[in-house]
Amino acid sequence: MKIRHIILAAALSLLPALAHAEAKLADFSLADRIKAKIAAGQPLDIYVSYHDVSNEFAPFMKAGVQRAATSDKVNAQFIGPVGADADGQISEIETLMSKMDGLAISSVSTDALAPLIDKVIAAGIPVVTFNTDNPESKRLAFAGQDLVQSGREAGKLMAKVLGGKGKVMITTIDAAAQWSLDREKGAREALKAEPGIEVVSTLNTGTDPQKIYSAIENAMLANPSISGVLSLECCSTPAAGTWVERNKAADKVKVVGFDLLDQTVQLVQSGDVQATIDQAPEKQGFAAVDLIVQFLKGQTIENLDTGVGVYTKENIAEVAKK
Amino acid sequence: MADTVRSGARAAAAGRFELSRLLRVREAGVFIALVVICLFLTFATDAFLTSLNLLNIGRQVSLLGIMAVGMTFVLISGEVDLSVGSTYAFSGLVTGMLIIAGCGLLPALAVGLFAGAVIGVINGILSTYGRLPSLIATLGMLSIVRGAALILTNGQPVTVNARNGALPDVLETFSFMGQGYLFSVIPMQLVFFAIIAVLAWLVLSYSNFGFRVYAVGGSAKAARVSGISVNTVKIWAFVLMGLLAAFAGILSLAFLPSGQAGRTGLGLELDVIAATIVGGASLSGGEGTILGTILGVLIIGVMRNGLVLMGVSPFVQELMIGLVIIIAVGIDKWTTRRAT
Repeated sequence: MKIRHIILAAALSLLPALAHAEAKLADFSLADRIKAKIAAGQPLDIYVSYHDVSNEFAPFMKAGVQRAATSDKVNAQFIGPVGADADGQISEIETLMSKMDGLAISSVSTDALAPLIDKVIAAGIPVVTFNTDNPESKRLAFAGQDLVQSGREAGKLMAKVLGGKGKVMITTIDAAAQWSLDREKGAREALKAEPGIEVVSTLNTGTDPQKIYSAIENAMLANPSISGVLSLECCSTPAAGTWVERNKAADKVKVVGFDLLDQTVQLVQSGDVQATIDQAPEKQGFAAVDLIVQFLKGQTIENLDTGVGVYTKENIAEVAKK
Repeated sequence: MADTVRSGARAAAAGRFELSRLLRVREAGVFIALVVICLFLTFATDAFLTSLNLLNIGRQVSLLGIMAVGMTFVLISGEVDLSVGSTYAFSGLVTGMLIIAGCGLLPALAVGLFAGAVIGVINGILSTYGRLPSLIATLGMLSIVRGAALILTNGQPVTVNARNGALPDVLETFSFMGQGYLFSVIPMQLVFFAIIAVLAWLVLSYSNFGFRVYAVGGSAKAARVSGISVNTVKIWAFVLMGLLAAFAGILSLAFLPSGQAGRTGLGLELDVIAATIVGGASLSGGEGTILGTILGVLIIGVMRNGLVLMGVSPFVQELMIGLVIIIAVGIDKWTTRRAT
């Protein structure tokens, strides 16, 4: 118990040093095994652990990882649990630890994965985070969208399409997940700045598509005064848009959401979703591997914002399938 | 041989007559619970007792209901099927992929349903001739079928629309199955659920097969002695379950009209089993009715709908639904014990 307190205190004292998020190899005690590999000019084995390899974004992330592997001449493996499962993610990384020369990770849960990340770092293996950051850990840098910031952007867009006035419902497929909490925080911050806008509730829809739609349908019936739906992720965005489309409510209810699923793109085109924010998953996968490689080459790395793309009816044609 | 079968069935029927009176009492218990919940919601929220909301509930419970009908057969036969959520996803996605590949509606539906039936046959054979407990066999199949769906779709969502390649007339009929309304009022999903429930009730209550399902679940040994092929009956129950899970999955895709192998139907098996158990079916076999299952499905559906209408926090909703499952089954057990 005492030892744990000491470690905690030590970790806390390190936090300010890490806060400016800049890392270089000279300050890192790299495992001898990896040093020898670099000296011998052998290809490095980088593992990229994504929090759910069965979701829609995984194939794009994987493509980015493969592109980086080719251009940086390393072996990069895309791993992670099927379905967001913290235990699964932890045990897979533990199993592979002795083989990895670098790890990029998007955590299922910040709290559950932080000790593991610190353990990997303690073993002399560099770790960066991508897509979903883990600020509780000692990770070297983060590549991805700043989630609170992307939430804030969504909030601002919502305020804009509502003309600064209305009742907003926030929807999410997993209200307790870290990424959702971060985006919700940003969105609520931005909406709070608008005196004419009231956030009515946060609707937790669950992940099954049928349940997502039913939850939205029920909530809209219960609160007929809602004029804005702000979805925090990929999957309740098209569901909210579909509800608007089927109820011919585009004049009354404005939807702002995330990502560029096929259905979402079409609903933006038809005017049932007003705006959607893209998070460029391929770029995130690429940056995950590239950051580690840069670090091992001795370059200084720091947090990398892979950016926010805003798509509305005006520019959605750029990403629509021909 | 034929005589032994008939007398066996007659013996089972005689045993069931006593049982059916008991079951009627049980359904009354579930029915009262449903009425109480509905009355409470009527006063607690304005939006509950509106025709729009009631039709919404009807649609929202239909897919769960179709699968729970299948689960009733499996549970009565003394088995359980955990793979139904995966089957629901797999069959829906296969049908969807065929439709956007330009396939006709009937072949696409046939392949999706056939896939469900095959999964049912595998579940059935593993649980009977394979001598695995169905809990284990279908737990394995849950994972295998979900994995197969992920491999087949490469984790990508399958969206059925014209732009992705669905033929216009195929799309029109397919969409109608999931999104359409009979007489522009009753959701088609509810129509399908009603038809399936009536057919299942007839089969379970009046057909030879229905007798045998009860007989096999009540006492496999007695059923075997009276000449019933226990394994065959159980395999057919699994096939029926597979077909209905597949059909529900296809309707789900027709409604949405998009599915994703990592999310579609995830954890659905527990909802299906919960609804069936609340309706009075027993995990130890031999007990359950279609009417009870319908009431169980309605209780779960009305609860989910009502809690959202009342604006109850999502985390509290989870807790409440768990409580209702325990209380509903509990009341059933406690009152039955007192009655006997």
